[in-house]
Amino acid sequence: MKLLKEKKNELDEINKEFLAEILNGSALLHEALSTFINDKLKKESLEGVIQTEKKCDELKDRYTQVLFRDKRALPFLVEDRYNILMMIDTVNDKMEFFSRFLQVYPFKLYKEIKDEFTNLYSACSQAVEELVNCAILIETDFDGAYKITYKIEERKREARTAKFNLLEKVYKMKDDPTKIYLTSKLVTYIYDIVAWVEETSDYLRGLIIRYPTR
Amino acid sequence: MALEYILIIFLIISLIISFAIGANDETMAPLYGSRILNIKQILILAAIFAIAGAILLGEGVAKSVGDKILLLDYETLSISQDAVVMTILISTAIVLILSSALGLPISSTHATIGGIIGLGLLLGGGEGVNWNTILEMSIWWLASPVVGYTVTYGVVKVLNKHKLKHLKGFQAYERSENKYSYVILIIICITAFSRAGNDCSNAVGIVVGVGDDINITLLLIMTGFGLAAGLGVLGRIVIKNLGKMTELRPSTAFAVQVPTAAVMLIGTIQKIPLSGSHLLVASLVGLSKANNSPMKKGLWKIIAIWLLTFPIAAILSIILYFPINLLI
Repeated sequence: MKLLKEKKNELDEINKEFLAEILNGSALLHEALSTFINDKLKKESLEGVIQTEKKCDELKDRYTQVLFRDKRALPFLVEDRYNILMMIDTVNDKMEFFSRFLQVYPFKLYKEIKDEFTNLYSACSQAVEELVNCAILIETDFDGAYKITYKIEERKREARTAKFNLLEKVYKMKDDPTKIYLTSKLVTYIYDIVAWVEETSDYLRGLIIRYPTR
Repeated sequence: MALEYILIIFLIISLIISFAIGANDETMAPLYGSRILNIKQILILAAIFAIAGAILLGEGVAKSVGDKILLLDYETLSISQDAVVMTILISTAIVLILSSALGLPISSTHATIGGIIGLGLLLGGGEGVNWNTILEMSIWWLASPVVGYTVTYGVVKVLNKHKLKHLKGFQAYERSENKYSYVILIIICITAFSRAGNDCSNAVGIVVGVGDDINITLLLIMTGFGLAAGLGVLGRIVIKNLGKMTELRPSTAFAVQVPTAAVMLIGTIQKIPLSGSHLLVASLVGLSKANNSPMKKGLWKIIAIWLLTFPIAAILSIILYFPINLLI
């Protein structure tokens, strides 16, 4: 039992570090996008997102190693926390993918879509931040975490509206088809982050609802 | 046959019986299902309590087999009572070992009574069995799973209300489940300890009757090791199978185990032969229904083996009686 407690503490520490890295990645991405819309893309920030993803992968590996260090039976909460960590890691993967895409995106953003694009990435940043808060809050306050899941849903709606407004404008443009195609991809990839955040928050909500009967 | 040889044969049979009982001991299943301990730790713990229970509680509990059910006049019919008792116990052991190998928990009481009915019918015809007692017991056999189901269902519902009201986050759940882990661990260890003491009487009983020179302590130690071996070799299959029947947590394992233990205790005090296996399985079904969690598909297999326990044990005892009678 004592060993199990030590193991749990170690897992909690890694989890905290992991969530902090996710927030850091989200902030760096926000910074990169803020500069991108002003045509002065800060590639260091994008590199920072990629590095954050690497750190998160290392933390995830450490987490898995601690979990399976001895073949001890695991309490059910550890399993759920592991699933949450894996889902949040996918958010990070999507941020990293988007960053790599933006690094090689060869154009400047259309001026006509800058406002909508700002709305989209703001919704994305807020959603990631709220997801991390939700993952922290679920430890001590189900009601608070439950409310946040609805806020995240709201962010997804905002992002969806922004995405389709953007796509409508982009598809109507008479420009190089490659630029139009790649810009639509840019929009879609950033929306994918929010969509996955919302899916993760749905999972968290499901856990909160199911817990009394577990 | 010389007394020493008879004693050796009886000792071997006693060991087989204790092995069979240990093999079908599902007491530790909630510990496995709720993942408080892993199977290795469970088997070590089960072996310790099986041996301790047999040694410390086994003495003085040697009980007669089938006194109330068999209506045989041994002298008039020239029947060896030893042969009858041994046949019943061996048929019980075989049924228990077979069902354990399939991972299915059955009632050793039912297997014993099945054997008794078989021999009663063989040796005394329709009048060889006390049908009134059988009928009386049948009511309890049918009632005990219903009681197990109902009590667990109620306990789980109350527990869920309590959780909803008082537990507000993972950490609160964790603390609560940790507390339940300790409680359930203690309850199950006590159950395993007392059950070993009670179970070993079935195995020890036949040897005690052979002669006065037997070292009871040594016999109980052997029986304890027999129970532990049964648990280690086949018991693990039963424990794993039953533990995975539905989703278990320390708190829900508590909700399953406590009514089972309480009903069993009442049954023991009232001298009602209830089955711990039936109660536990019914409690697991009650838990599954209360929590809307899925049951494993193997439930019907368990119910089928319950229904088949009587006829299989009866037929087996009829077949085994003749060679055993010749041997005795």
